[in-house]
Amino acid sequence: MSADPPLLELRNVDVVFNGVIQVLRGASLTVPAGAVVALLGANGAGKTTALRAVSGLLATEQGRVTAGHIGYAGADITNADPCAIVARGLVQVLDGRRVLAHLSVAQNLRAGAHFRRDFDEPAELARVLGYFPALERLMRRTAGYLSGGEMQMLLVGRALMARPRLMLLDEPSMGLAPRIAQELFATIRRINRAEGMAILLVEQNAAAALEICDHGYVMETGRVVLHGDRAALLANEDMRAFYLGLSLTQARRSYREVKHYKRRKRWLG
Amino acid sequence: MIELAQTTIGGVLTGLVYGLVALSFVVIYRAARIVNVAQGQLVLVGAFLLWTAASALGLPLWLAVPAALAGTGLLGVVLERLVFRPLVGQSGFTIVLATIALLVLLQGLVQLLWGAETRPFPAVLPSGSLHLGPFRLNRTLLLGGVLTVLLTEVLHWFFLHTREGLRLAAVAEDHFTALSMGISVRRATTIAWLLGGALACLAAMVLLSGRLLGASAAGIGFVALPVALLGGLESVRGAALAGVIVGVGEALASAYLDPLTNGAMSPIFPFALMVIVLLIRPQGLFGWRVIERL
Repeated sequence: MSADPPLLELRNVDVVFNGVIQVLRGASLTVPAGAVVALLGANGAGKTTALRAVSGLLATEQGRVTAGHIGYAGADITNADPCAIVARGLVQVLDGRRVLAHLSVAQNLRAGAHFRRDFDEPAELARVLGYFPALERLMRRTAGYLSGGEMQMLLVGRALMARPRLMLLDEPSMGLAPRIAQELFATIRRINRAEGMAILLVEQNAAAALEICDHGYVMETGRVVLHGDRAALLANEDMRAFYLGLSLTQARRSYREVKHYKRRKRWLG
Repeated sequence: MIELAQTTIGGVLTGLVYGLVALSFVVIYRAARIVNVAQGQLVLVGAFLLWTAASALGLPLWLAVPAALAGTGLLGVVLERLVFRPLVGQSGFTIVLATIALLVLLQGLVQLLWGAETRPFPAVLPSGSLHLGPFRLNRTLLLGGVLTVLLTEVLHWFFLHTREGLRLAAVAEDHFTALSMGISVRRATTIAWLLGGALACLAAMVLLSGRLLGASAAGIGFVALPVALLGGLESVRGAALAGVIVGVGEALASAYLDPLTNGAMSPIFPFALMVIVLLIRPQGLFGWRVIERL
């Protein structure tokens, strides 16, 4: 662990929707500058909520950070305006492939840089196409007609156009063929290395996420129940049993077995 | 044959004015997802603002026209702030009811401020008719039509090729996505109402230039609603094209069907078309998706 303050820090964050439904309970996590951090967990664990708490999008869903603190690059961004957060270089790629469906690929990319003043468009487009060469021949295509994999490339590319210091990625592999997802993860890792851009990655596909991350956090029912660096998580028996479907003897566990085991064993006692 | 062509040409020119009002619907709908039923009243206020600036205050037209455009745009912004922003997140039904209330309110306000009598409207555009071979073209409408087509192309370009336009286009697609990209939905909505108000005022100038101004001018808002629906509520270019379709249909109905039906057909035509559009293709010719039912 370095002595530098982390790029992003969530400290004991509570999130409440509609004033009554508590989704995050004292969640804490940190993303060091330039690192890839995975946020894992089952459906409904609060991963997406954690990302939206960071990017300031909770308010549109009647959600609010009611306790705790979110710090980014030395500033307090708890419940801040999402536009101000993006302008600071923190960009979220939402889940559900939200391309601007009626605009072309090129227009989508350009829209990603809408707030930048020091903007050399050809150079920036070339930079993004360097990571996603497949987009080059699709530049004039209407984004709504792209395949799932192409859309996901476009979304990461659009976020890159903003030249973020931290990118929040929400389930990029959802609904993609395994090989396409694998390629996407490899590219994400390459972007992280080349740009020194930190990534907070929410994934259901724990194995794929653990392959590219430096650190990982596991959430359940709004709490962080496990965290550690990549090696520690890969070695953790619960992690292997619950999320990777493996036991220490490398034999695969059946779903039924895991579910049963998980029910008996309670995280945090 | 010449009569048919002449009727068609007249329909095209009138239709382009409808298209201009429809364009003001479209600009507002794209950003705010609001079909402003009171858009005709914005046209009316725009007309009275120009009358006040040019006729009552005696300002020269080069000053009165921008003043009226800015004033109507500003009214749009004020309406958004006072009426529609507090309703964000409410159902479409609530918002439509609010626009209907606004319609009555604005109509009353105009009557309160400017009275009920009709007034001569300043001649903003040159009048008279232009003879082109066997055809007569209304100079005002011709200029207005050219203006509408130019404006449509400029807006289309603006939405796709400028930063501000791309922001508005992103907001038109999806508010949540736009917000996640750091685009201020409020700012985009404000700009859209400013534009929508100014376009309504411009339509008033084309429609009324050199004619009589009275409360009935707001009626164009009702004809423009079917035009906007036919073109597709998200489509800038669709508005002008649908305007031409409705304009020509109305003109032909007026020339050939009205004599047989005591003049009933031409006023019905746009609305009959609207019902057909809603039944067969509710998103219009170039609209994006099935619109919400109210």
